[in-house]
Amino acid sequence: MTIKISAAGQIELTGICSSEEGEVLLQHLLASPNMMVNWRGCEAAHTAVIQVLMAARPRLLGPPADIFLEKWVQPVLAATMHT
Amino acid sequence: MNEFITQFLIESREFVEQATEGLLVLEQSPHDVERLDSVFRAFHTLKGGAGIVEFTAMEQAVHAAEEILSAARSGKRALTTALVGDCLACLDQVVQWLDILEQTGEFPSSVAKAKADESWLAAILEANPGVRPRVTTAMQFIPDADCFYQGEDPIARVTALPALLALDIQPVAAWPSLNDFDPYKCNLVLTALTAASMSEVTAHMHGHSGTCEMRAIGPAQSTPQALGLPSQARDILSAQLVLLGHATAANFAGFVASAGMTAVNVLRSCAHAETAALVEQSIGQSLTGNSTEPLRNAIAQLLSPSPPTLSVATAVSGKPDAAAQTLRIDARRVDALVRLTGELTVAKNAAGHVAKLAQEQGNALAGVLKERQVVLDRLVAELQESVLGMRVLPLRTVLQRFPRVVREMSVSLGKPLALEIEGDDTEADKAIVEMLFEPLLHIVRNAVDHGIESPGERAARGKPATAKIRIRAARQADQVIIEISDDGGGIDLARVREVARTRGVATEEELREMSDADIVDLVFAAGFSTAAKVTELSGRGVGMDAVRTAVERIGGRVSIESRAGLGATVRFSLPFSVMMTQVMTVEASGQMFGVPLDAIVETVSVPRAAISGIGAAHAIVLRNRTVPVVDLSNVLGLRETMRDETNTTLVITAFAGQVGGLRVDRIGERLEVILKPLDGLLSGMPGITGTTLLGDGRVLLVLDIGELLQ
Repeated sequence: MTIKISAAGQIELTGICSSEEGEVLLQHLLASPNMMVNWRGCEAAHTAVIQVLMAARPRLLGPPADIFLEKWVQPVLAATMHT
Repeated sequence: MNEFITQFLIESREFVEQATEGLLVLEQSPHDVERLDSVFRAFHTLKGGAGIVEFTAMEQAVHAAEEILSAARSGKRALTTALVGDCLACLDQVVQWLDILEQTGEFPSSVAKAKADESWLAAILEANPGVRPRVTTAMQFIPDADCFYQGEDPIARVTALPALLALDIQPVAAWPSLNDFDPYKCNLVLTALTAASMSEVTAHMHGHSGTCEMRAIGPAQSTPQALGLPSQARDILSAQLVLLGHATAANFAGFVASAGMTAVNVLRSCAHAETAALVEQSIGQSLTGNSTEPLRNAIAQLLSPSPPTLSVATAVSGKPDAAAQTLRIDARRVDALVRLTGELTVAKNAAGHVAKLAQEQGNALAGVLKERQVVLDRLVAELQESVLGMRVLPLRTVLQRFPRVVREMSVSLGKPLALEIEGDDTEADKAIVEMLFEPLLHIVRNAVDHGIESPGERAARGKPATAKIRIRAARQADQVIIEISDDGGGIDLARVREVARTRGVATEEELREMSDADIVDLVFAAGFSTAAKVTELSGRGVGMDAVRTAVERIGGRVSIESRAGLGATVRFSLPFSVMMTQVMTVEASGQMFGVPLDAIVETVSVPRAAISGIGAAHAIVLRNRTVPVVDLSNVLGLRETMRDETNTTLVITAFAGQVGGLRVDRIGERLEVILKPLDGLLSGMPGITGTTLLGDGRVLLVLDIGELLQ
């Protein structure tokens, strides 16, 4: 399981988050809408996961471990947060 | 249709031709810089024209091709056959659009579609002004909603795009509340800008599910990509600028040398050797002037958006701008002028007749009249020449379509072909040039279909794999000669005999008596190629007999020469101009006839006894050559027998290589006439090719020498 609630009360994305985990992330966010998402350990995230982040707009704790996510996806999510 | 559009159509077609011609040359010699420039300019102008008339679809299509050429020009990519094919396909599309526009007067409907959704492009470009100079391709990708089930990861795919410059991800439809959110349904639009070419992006996106639109982006007018340097090169160059900014008096020389050499090496590796040399010069200037300024300026200029003044100015061609010196005139006006000049010629001939009459009657004014008539003669001749010159077109206008045609045939039939065109600057009357395409096309198709062997056969015969087709045009006196030759197997005589027999073109007996050349000539016989067969191979329903008819209709001849195993040559002999024919008048049984001057070799007066009877025919030995003689009166049915006289006047004519003597009573004068073809009841008259009006109003029948001598 790469998406879980950490001891610090954050939703943690670690390692490689596959498409099925979009559903897991969604369930976590539905259960605790205000929980912060920490994706510092995230090495890759499937579009399905990123899409949940875009739709739910949680507060994010980054930057992610993967440079592609950092360079290309993080700014998109950041822009989503502001709008 | 407004004048703007009319002009746009004319010009676009010209540039399409120019570009097509150039592309085909480039395919053979991709390093022909001048040609590449010319093709690029043609595309650029096409784009400009499309922009002016707001034909967005065409503008975009042409722009994409222009991008490819631009990359080739800057040495960023090689111009491969595939890319040339893409550019040609683009031109094909443009021609289709132009046709629709010309026929309907309206822009093709696809324009509206293309115009509809361009907002994404503008939006992402606007959002990322910093990368604008480096963008070559923009892409909008809308993955299928169920793409996750197909194991796809659209964001990963797009973020891995080569040379990605900017990325934007938006929902297609507004996000639903999280309760209704379906995490397995993709609801994204991905928009990206990259510095990679469209084909690279296409390759990268290959196999995606969803819709993917791409646009090739050119350097914006204000921020062209100077020198077309790849982004890494630009980054290195910028770093050198920063480095030079830190130079102090102590380390100045070292900084200049190291930054300068780095820049030079970058340029060299990007194939900008000339610019590199200029940068090298600026290093020298910096070192001697004890200032980093010259080098910094030089590097800054390389990176600057304005076109680099550093680059060596391209050599200005010495050729004056041809377009500036030409005037477009409606062909109908020119035709009217030609007609008038023709009438003037008739009037001039009449004046000549009057002058002669006056002379015969000893009129005092005869001398002056004759003098004036000579002047008039010269002026009309000059006028005629200039007017006909206006109607003259180079054969290039028709021949330039062939490289394309042959290329396509080569691909579709799997026979490697090389086309050689010689003498395409040979000129001929517009009417002739314009009718030539179909007959020539048919000959070329025949050569490729039947003449040229399959690659395997060629190899077995020891021939090079690439077959050669050569079209050669040349002016010979009043004739334009076009030869189409191939190095295929030649015409299969046995097969021609067989076909001629089975189709009833010639009887067994006739065939037995025919020479090989006669047999070859049978392919032109009516009924030799049946419609069904012709359609299958040419798709146009034209047989070789139709080729001959078409060529003969404008006063030309077509012949064929075949060498077994070595190929065949089809030869068109066409008149330079269809309008004027020079004739010599002759008299037989008190009636005047015209003999086309180009058929006359000489006129001789021989003793009656020199003509000997050979069976039912007559012949004369002239310079050790036996020349058959026909009596004009006899052959036209004016009189039955040869007369008794001591000397006989003969007009020696040559036609299609056949020499014959025409026995006449008297030889008249030379005239330049407009030949009117026979029509109505007279049209079937044998031995007569046409009529013309004489100065005194009489009708002159002009003889068809070919028919008379047969």
